[in-house]
Amino acid sequence: MTDAARSDAVVDLAAVRAADAPAVGPKMARLGQLASTGWRVPDGYAITVGALEGWLPATARSELHRLFSVPATGPASLRLSQQARELIEGQSLPSWLADAVADAHARLAARTGRGDALLVAVRSSAVGEDGHAASFAGQYETYLGVSGPDEVLRHIVKCWASGYSAHALDYRRRFGGSGPLRAHDLAVGVLELVDARSAGVAFTLDPVTGDRGRLVVEANWGLGESVVSGQVTPDYWTVERDSGRILERRTGGKLVWSVLASSGEAGGTVLAPLPAELAQAPCLTDDEVRYICRQAAAIEAAEGAPQDVEWAIARDLDLPDSVYFLQHRPETTWASAAPESGAAPAASPAAAPAFDPVQYALRNVFKVPGT
Amino acid sequence: MAVSADPPRVFPVDDFVREELYPGYRQAFGSQPFVAGPVRPFSLADNERYWLRDSLHFSEGMVPASIATLDDAQTWGAQLGAEIVGVPPTRGSVNRLAGTHVYIGTIDVDTQWQVQARAARFGQYVSPILADFGSYWSMRAAELTAAYEYFDHLDLAAMSPAELWTTLKDAYAFHRRAWFIHFEVMYVLTANYLAFYALAEEIGLQGSSVSSFLSGQQTFYSRTDEELWRLAGLARSLGLDGALTQGSPADMLIRVRALPGGATWVAEFDAFLAVYGQRSEETCRIDTPSWIEDPSPALYSIAGFLAKPTGFDFHAARSAAMLERDAQIDAARRSVNGSDLARFNQALASNQAANFAWWNEEHNYLIDRRAAIPIRRATLALGAQLTDAGRIADPSDMFYLFKPELFEVMESGGSGRWADLAAMIPDRRAYFEHWRERGPSLPTMLGTIPDTVPDPIMIEVFGLSGHFLETLRRDPAAGFGTGVVEIRGFPAAKGVAEGVARVITTVGDLHTVQPGEVLVCGGTTTEWTPAFGIILACVCDTGGSLTHAAIVSREYGIPCVVGTAVATTMIKTGDRVRVDGRAGTVQVLG
Repeated sequence: MTDAARSDAVVDLAAVRAADAPAVGPKMARLGQLASTGWRVPDGYAITVGALEGWLPATARSELHRLFSVPATGPASLRLSQQARELIEGQSLPSWLADAVADAHARLAARTGRGDALLVAVRSSAVGEDGHAASFAGQYETYLGVSGPDEVLRHIVKCWASGYSAHALDYRRRFGGSGPLRAHDLAVGVLELVDARSAGVAFTLDPVTGDRGRLVVEANWGLGESVVSGQVTPDYWTVERDSGRILERRTGGKLVWSVLASSGEAGGTVLAPLPAELAQAPCLTDDEVRYICRQAAAIEAAEGAPQDVEWAIARDLDLPDSVYFLQHRPETTWASAAPESGAAPAASPAAAPAFDPVQYALRNVFKVPGT
Repeated sequence: MAVSADPPRVFPVDDFVREELYPGYRQAFGSQPFVAGPVRPFSLADNERYWLRDSLHFSEGMVPASIATLDDAQTWGAQLGAEIVGVPPTRGSVNRLAGTHVYIGTIDVDTQWQVQARAARFGQYVSPILADFGSYWSMRAAELTAAYEYFDHLDLAAMSPAELWTTLKDAYAFHRRAWFIHFEVMYVLTANYLAFYALAEEIGLQGSSVSSFLSGQQTFYSRTDEELWRLAGLARSLGLDGALTQGSPADMLIRVRALPGGATWVAEFDAFLAVYGQRSEETCRIDTPSWIEDPSPALYSIAGFLAKPTGFDFHAARSAAMLERDAQIDAARRSVNGSDLARFNQALASNQAANFAWWNEEHNYLIDRRAAIPIRRATLALGAQLTDAGRIADPSDMFYLFKPELFEVMESGGSGRWADLAAMIPDRRAYFEHWRERGPSLPTMLGTIPDTVPDPIMIEVFGLSGHFLETLRRDPAAGFGTGVVEIRGFPAAKGVAEGVARVITTVGDLHTVQPGEVLVCGGTTTEWTPAFGIILACVCDTGGSLTHAAIVSREYGIPCVVGTAVATTMIKTGDRVRVDGRAGTVQVLG
């Protein structure tokens, strides 16, 4: 890599625009674009695809080749994935890149005023991720609560290694076609971690029915991980697009939340039982729900397609300054099939008799005569 | 494999018939749950019915104080749950003791009017709950959590005897409530699951495959395991692995503390216990400590993990399990069409929202392994005061008193009776020990082995399938010839593995399992989960599609065969075995 290319290897988010997707991945590109058009996003920087291309030492590469020379399935592929990840995580990034990351990190620490106390999220941003055709969501890892340039470097390598998870490998076999050793087109974003009071996702259509007349918000106390990973029954609101009226709310089912792990040096998050006084309380005010929906609809309008939008509400700030947008991506389930507007979903329940588990159990399991 | 000509069908209960439940104690009316019948010793009439040894939940026997909690749980709780939910074919379960060991039987509903009346009630009760199971379970979970918040934060050491006695009564009342919730939820979810199961069979799928459609959701126990692996990894990186793999658990902690970085690790371990340690090793057992009192099981797990050269990639395993699940669902969808597909999708959605396979694991942390801890703590605190007052010799003597005895002496304030009670305790301790030793040799079933069992819980959770019953009806000694013996069971998790067997009859011996061995046991519960990260395969005597071992093996990607009836009898530790989890066979290679 030339010195000129090296100087572009790590870029501050403020300089990133939508057109930079091939270099920083669509996730970071959209976030940079969002920031440049006035939405509040966490500050940060990105390590480009070019910077990470070919970083793996030749010895490690040939070891990977050897590992994947025999096709494997089931438990064997799990072991393989584990070996590959351990092999990669044992390597170090080249020193010029480590220096560039350390510089960018120092700039971020200064801009945010956090200094050494700065905590960041290290997010994979793969090129080809979040395509319209199929959702690549979750193929690569994100690490929250990372502290200091050394740990950031270690987690960049972990992001890269996460492309060798069994899930990601299988996904590539099924959708990528070119086998496990195809080079990653992976960029990594490093973003200031929002000290979230509450966080979650907004969908600009009803993800279950595809109804575009409604927006749906799912949220929990603490970091958004518990919601995104589906580990909690989140608080849930549906909001009418045209009126902004809250049509439906289901709150109070939350048992756990994601919080930063107490052991500072290791970083990371843990899922902890939610304190009883929070479990039953809604984690957003109605004003927050409506504000998030308005902004999500505006993002959708700018993108020209239904979106799901991740956001977090910073502790100790007032609306609207408290709301940070973390990422958004095209909604994939209904992107091609969704009904146009507020009408009921196209799937017609009249096509099949409804299945009632209770009546079915009485008739076919307990065999009660006359049911 | 020969089947003997005239198979024995009755395993007589005669050896276990008693008037007294323990020396000096007969189950009195005051302790009798109102629905169908309390825990009792066997009587000769019990030869007419079938009784399954429940080593799944109670492997080592029950001390007197645990009889009340058993009564409230598997006996009264199940009976009340079945009654209120209105399950048509069963009135729940009933228990007998062989010595101190628990056998479970079912109470069939056998008149047509009662079946009809229950069916009508069942529909009204279950439908609204299934319509919004998430809210319903959240409400119940919040109720249980609030009670633990209360009991866990009581300063028992500062209480007067009267306050302690009140607390103990509250703890018993809570325990009973927790078990009603348990069976209410269980029967509701069972109906949902079995409807899906029967529908799958109707539209040409394997009913037994539906539990794998419902796998992959994280539970409190999978999170516990991840934390244990994390602690093992931390110990390795701090260079503490040597100290954690030798000697008794108490020694481990002492040695770790003395090493550089040891205090950090112990602080992490304590933080782990604060969240995950409010659990004991068995259900209803007042005499078993919680992990917070005695973290040996957690330390043994960590030591077991450290014996493996690398960590366990939970993310990868879960991803693989979810992919496997999704692929199976896709395959099922491709094989049906039209209105069958629509019904399949609705039944799947209903079961994803109200998921028995998930709840069957998750609830243990709120109910089975925790509900008796408040009673244990209050009992021991009261025992300490009674020891100081000279009434008993040791706080643990309290475990050898029955609840009605304790209530009588505490409520009457009479001191004379204490001497009588204290005098019986040595005999009762000896009785418990005698039966604890006999436990592993007790028959899997007693009474008359039926051809089929109507209670779906007994089939899917306890594994009383037609094959299981048929195997038991054979004479095991005559049934197997020379050469390679093949045992059949329910194919619970696919894959083939060959390795050395480790036969375990109680969870207390679990730490003897070595990485790469094939675990052979009666059945597993949540306490056994950590072992699944190091074993090659799992084989159980009992169990069906919803059994713990089946669910966890799928998550860990190892082969598993359950419901073999005879694996622990036919296989010896050290035997080489080949487990085929798709065919449901285990070959004993010698």
